[in-house]
Amino acid sequence: MPTNWAYVFAAYGIAAIVLLGYWRHLARRARALAARPAAKARVA
Amino acid sequence: MTRVLGWLAALGLLAGLAAGFGYAPREAVQGNVQRIMYLHVPSVLTAYLAFGLVLLGSIAYLATRRPGWDRLAGSAGEIGVLFTGLTIVSGSIWGKPTWGTWWTWDARLTSTAVLFLAYVGYLLLRSLIDDPDARGRYAAVVGILGAVNIPIVHFSVKWWRALHQPSTILGPEPSPIDPAIGLALFINWVAFTLLFAYFLSRRMEIARLEEQT
Repeated sequence: MPTNWAYVFAAYGIAAIVLLGYWRHLARRARALAARPAAKARVA
Repeated sequence: MTRVLGWLAALGLLAGLAAGFGYAPREAVQGNVQRIMYLHVPSVLTAYLAFGLVLLGSIAYLATRRPGWDRLAGSAGEIGVLFTGLTIVSGSIWGKPTWGTWWTWDARLTSTAVLFLAYVGYLLLRSLIDDPDARGRYAAVVGILGAVNIPIVHFSVKWWRALHQPSTILGPEPSPIDPAIGLALFINWVAFTLLFAYFLSRRMEIARLEEQT
């Protein structure tokens, strides 16, 4: 029976990249939105 | 609350990895490649949950016109697409050493691809309409129609002759899975559900902020 570890690591590696990428996307978007009122207040 | 969910999800995922790679034995027939199931099965169960919430949010929005229901539907739809994508990719990687092919037009695979494309279309529709009420109404109709595909995906292996094996988790018969493998699947399912709840909480908060600006 072949070990097939390469397939296992590929699947988990892609999942980790996708999930971490989405988490970072959410964090960046939240930071950008949180910064908006502060930026507006500075302009005013 | 969101932060707590995030930490619980992180701990759950670590426990899931430990269970899948340390506690669960090497499967007798498939070997190590079966460990992809600790990713594949929780992903599809999470996608079902997400699209179920799209259905709930869509119906509730059409009934009440409260923006919160539309935020729930839109946020759950986005995360559902993410987990459906993971389901398809992980299943494809598992399929190559097990079936000898990355992809086949089997009933389960095809219906899952249709589910994925239906909700990509749902997100595309949402991005094309500026008026919040019109977006909520049109998206709700698509969200409700898209949910019709969920039972088709799940029961496709019963309704048609398929290469994909029948359900072993949500099937009508008692699960034939080894208890250690079943426990590893359960831990990963809980972890993915926590991760979904965390993502949903953050995405809904972002949607709320977007509506205010």
